[in-house]
Amino acid sequence: MEARIRARVTLALTLFALLFFVSRSSPPRQFVISDAKRRIDLSSHIINVHLTLKVENAGTRPASEVVLALTPTEVDHLAMVDALAIKGKRKKTTSVRLEVKPTELPDAPPIDAKYFTIYLANPLNSGESTTLEVLYVFTHFLEPFPEEIAQSESQLVFYHDTALILSPYHIKQQTTFIKTPSTKVESFIRVEPTNRVGTEIKYGPYEDRPPYSISPIHVHFENNSPFAVVEELVQEIEISHWGNIQVTEHYTVVHAGARHKGVFSRVDYQSRQFSNGASSFRHLLARLPPRVHSVYYRDEIGNISSSHLRTNSLKNGRRSIALCVLNARCIDYSIANVVSSFMIMHLHLNVAFAIIPVEASRSWKLSHVILYLEVVLPEGSTDPSPVVPFPVEHRLEAKYSSLDVVGRTVVVLEKKIFVPMHNSHFQSQTLELKILEIGFDENNHLRCLSFVDSLPDTIVPAKIFSLLMLSRQTHIKTIYQLCRMLFLHRWCLVERATFFNLVSFNLPPLWQVYYTFKPIFMLAEPLMLASAFFMFFVACVAYIHIDLSIRK
Amino acid sequence: MAPPAKAITSPVPDAWYPTLAVLMLAIGLVLTASFFIYEATSSKRNRSLAKELTTGGVASVFLGFGSLFLLLSAGVYV
Repeated sequence: MEARIRARVTLALTLFALLFFVSRSSPPRQFVISDAKRRIDLSSHIINVHLTLKVENAGTRPASEVVLALTPTEVDHLAMVDALAIKGKRKKTTSVRLEVKPTELPDAPPIDAKYFTIYLANPLNSGESTTLEVLYVFTHFLEPFPEEIAQSESQLVFYHDTALILSPYHIKQQTTFIKTPSTKVESFIRVEPTNRVGTEIKYGPYEDRPPYSISPIHVHFENNSPFAVVEELVQEIEISHWGNIQVTEHYTVVHAGARHKGVFSRVDYQSRQFSNGASSFRHLLARLPPRVHSVYYRDEIGNISSSHLRTNSLKNGRRSIALCVLNARCIDYSIANVVSSFMIMHLHLNVAFAIIPVEASRSWKLSHVILYLEVVLPEGSTDPSPVVPFPVEHRLEAKYSSLDVVGRTVVVLEKKIFVPMHNSHFQSQTLELKILEIGFDENNHLRCLSFVDSLPDTIVPAKIFSLLMLSRQTHIKTIYQLCRMLFLHRWCLVERATFFNLVSFNLPPLWQVYYTFKPIFMLAEPLMLASAFFMFFVACVAYIHIDLSIRK
Repeated sequence: MAPPAKAITSPVPDAWYPTLAVLMLAIGLVLTASFFIYEATSSKRNRSLAKELTTGGVASVFLGFGSLFLLLSAGVYV
């Protein structure tokens, strides 16, 4: 017993020692950023920051961990961080997604900041440099100011940031471009050299700044994009191996921009649409997968009568169905609970399936504060295991539905702060493919074009389309097939022999939940019903045979 | 690339659900009727337990499956 404890203690100590040495292997001072370009896109309430870093290894040892720093306020609003390594020049660039994890820096830095480490695919040798592209997505980062506006005013917001990029490394040259949605900028702080052209404000280039240098700025500008925020989304997916997947979604939608003061005049809103309620949103568009039926949209009050289900038909007969809820909402906080449910027949069911949750309309995006995805597996299924490309919390629950005895396992995936970028991860411009097939005809190209038109902009083929444009020699029939499968079977349950690994194509991995289910369990329900009827017959037989008679 | 996904569909094509429901329920009800007729017309001496139980059993199987397909065709996917 004691020997065991001692062994465990020594093991723990050696592990700690190892970790200590490993963490010391690439100290942050080793890298130098020779060029940094930051593009901040403020067009909607979800802020995208693209950071292109040219990192050089100025130390003597090869290192493979690059550290990024963010201020604590930024980290609170961070929805996702993504990093790519770019290789090649100009037209022929390939990119590889890198792993990014939050870390702590052991040596005390002068400011309070949070750190993320990017793990490079290959260690960088001394003197070498590599180009990294990092994408940050922030939500709820724009402050409306004034906080309350009348119906005919436009929305002005504040954006706080630093002109110098916060980094634990020495930056030789850096430039920041801020893109505002319109040319109306009330004020912005200048840190020379600063230049404003049209909708773009350029801070820089700044030369030779020491690590951890910041220079706070703010921009006060007009942003009339609707701040549509889904406070809570509970999406319940019920799977039945008899050929049906039922999806029920409960949304709580809020407009998170400036509050509305004064009265709401419907007449003004509808007659002068551009000057009144410029920052309101009028409809929510949901793109539904094909072969969907029994769709309904409900509110707290009842059915949303202004909802409208349309179908788009594609050339080869596949259809996508778009549901548009036309409901004029005013600038005020309007909370709507939208319950939509649709059942999909004829899908390919199997052990694992892939889902892409959340739809958004074409022109603006919804950001989610919290998203619950509940997958109700059929009765008798075992070993559920979710595979999600980004961190979620998951737990199991039980649900009792029709004809259930034991209860159905429910896999609940919970994600805080979900943005549409999570669906289409920061894509590489070209795909690293092992192309199996040859044959790229004009028809396929055109078909992909029509896919792009009708697909949500978060789905892959938008990037496949760009691939087509970039490299026509690449034979893309395989991608087209995949693309077709992704599009059609957005809600499909697919069988896997091995991992249906789309990551090998650098396509966005879809949410997947794997479970095992023996088809023989499907017989449980009819047998249960049959035995109930049999009990009835046995009762009749027993009654007849026992021959109870009151009067003899 | 992993082999393309194989689809699983229901063991019974779902276009058949309503037809199967009606057929099976009809057969089940006919058997139920024959069960009750047997009970009503037989006297204590020539009643055979085996026959009663088999008729009841077969009727209940058909009724069970029929009601399952009825539920499935109505949209309650169990």
